[in-house]
Amino acid sequence: MNDRHFTPNFEGRRALVLHRPHELVEALSRQLRQLGVTPLTAWPEMADATAADLLFFDADMGFDGQFPWPEGMAPMPTIALIGSEAPGRLAWAIRQGADAHLLKPIGSGGVFSALVIASEAFARRAAMRAERDGLRTRLGKRQLVAEATACLMVQNDLPATLAYDLLRRRAMEAQLTIEAMAERITGALRDPNVRDRA
Amino acid sequence: MPGPGFAVGVLFSRSGPYAAIGREGYAGAMTAIAEINERPGGPKLLADIRDPQGVTEQYAPLARDIVAGTGARHIVGCTTSWSRKDVIPVLEKSGTLLWYPCPYEGFECNEQVIYLGACPNQHVLRLFEYALPRFGANGYLVGSNYIWGWETSRIARDIIEHSGGAVAGERYVPLGDTDIDRIIEEIRLKRPDFVLNTLIGPSSYAFLRAYHELGQRDPNFAAEVRPVLSCNFAESEAAALGEAVAGHYVIAPYFQSLDSEDNRRFLTTARRLSTAQPDLSAFFVQAYTAVHMLADAIGRAGTDAPGAVRDAAMEQAFASPFGPIRIDRATHHTVLVPRIGRANGNGGFDVVDEAPTAVMPDPYLARSSLAVRTGGSSDRAPHLRVIK
Repeated sequence: MNDRHFTPNFEGRRALVLHRPHELVEALSRQLRQLGVTPLTAWPEMADATAADLLFFDADMGFDGQFPWPEGMAPMPTIALIGSEAPGRLAWAIRQGADAHLLKPIGSGGVFSALVIASEAFARRAAMRAERDGLRTRLGKRQLVAEATACLMVQNDLPATLAYDLLRRRAMEAQLTIEAMAERITGALRDPNVRDRA
Repeated sequence: MPGPGFAVGVLFSRSGPYAAIGREGYAGAMTAIAEINERPGGPKLLADIRDPQGVTEQYAPLARDIVAGTGARHIVGCTTSWSRKDVIPVLEKSGTLLWYPCPYEGFECNEQVIYLGACPNQHVLRLFEYALPRFGANGYLVGSNYIWGWETSRIARDIIEHSGGAVAGERYVPLGDTDIDRIIEEIRLKRPDFVLNTLIGPSSYAFLRAYHELGQRDPNFAAEVRPVLSCNFAESEAAALGEAVAGHYVIAPYFQSLDSEDNRRFLTTARRLSTAQPDLSAFFVQAYTAVHMLADAIGRAGTDAPGAVRDAAMEQAFASPFGPIRIDRATHHTVLVPRIGRANGNGGFDVVDEAPTAVMPDPYLARSSLAVRTGGSSDRAPHLRVIK
């Protein structure tokens, strides 16, 4: 993510401008080229979504189902182009997960700040999603950790806290997460060849 | 005064999907210009006429032509919000003032625009304050598939839900499309208390005709039982549809049937100067009023410089065919008296309700309560319902 001494740079990136042919598209493209960004245009279909790594979309005439990803799940920074400030249109842009916006008409400025803010918001969005997915995975394995702790309690005649410490130590020694070590322990327990031994 | 008069851009679509309304705006502006120019003394106006033919993308280039050509510093025109939004960059760059004469969905206050038409607290909200207690709070929303239909319906939904009602259905029809059988069938099955119609042009006519036929087959859908409410319907359109619109409701600041000295005088002048439009609606009168306000402000300011004209226009109330109006300094919108007309089947509207005082414009609905009283047995505020 951004740090305060870092000069944002978009050189070499490609931005898709999803807007009907309009002088706004030209003004936007001019600004993008100044930043070293290649502008691509499409309307109303998105053409090849993977060809771009930045997206500007029209909030005035955009419609549901216009993007090839689920609502709000754009895999790139997105910037809404807003003409009408009618709340219905703003709600639509928000549902699409706009990371930043630009107010129409577009003159000779604004694109750089929109790109910086959108990229930052996108990075934050992506980091939060990764963290959330990680937490969800760990949450899903909570049962395994409890099971492994119980197993170590029985096998070693330990109270719960010491059994959990043992689980953590073994995970560290094996350079695994606690969840992965718990999975290994409970997996071994489920192995029919091992069960006889217990 | 430079030259023979002051150039004024006249930018209305006289063909295309909303031509009926565009032609009224055009005729209203031209009638006022003719009237001003035949008066001895006072500033004269030179019309610079452009017709974008209902194509949104043509408005901005034509506005630019007006500014570059005759050097007009004022333009009267635009009907749809998309066209107004497209013209705004030209206005901002050149300092030109747009006199916009139509009702619209609000959420805009541009320094370069004078808004003569009603915004939502003066149309759909006021219309619902009249209709919900009489017909019920369950509405069906049908509109043309663009910002006017979307946003007016969204506000309608907001009002309905704040008022304890429910939206029975919400459908949009592409501009110019007349295939509405499925919508009629859905209304027949859902039996809403009323229909809010934000369709424009041929779609609106097709809908009203089909709904009228439904009403003839099934009296549950007669206008007096389940009326159609509209915020953008003109006398000329009602005349073309005749009996098919009888009993339905329209809100506007002006109806041709207004019984006032101002209106009688206006009608005499308008009919003398404009034979093209036998039926005159708010769309005509607002464009007509815009031009008169402009000429009056130029006269008092002694210049057509947009800033000075804007200040002069906002300085005092103006006598319009629909009574005294004024431009609110904070929002550039008009303080006006909304009126509700019921179509009488002969192309006219009988005024059945009138706001007791002029209503301040509230384009962002910042100060308007969206909870309106409904036809329930209680006078309790509808949003304070008993939680069981």
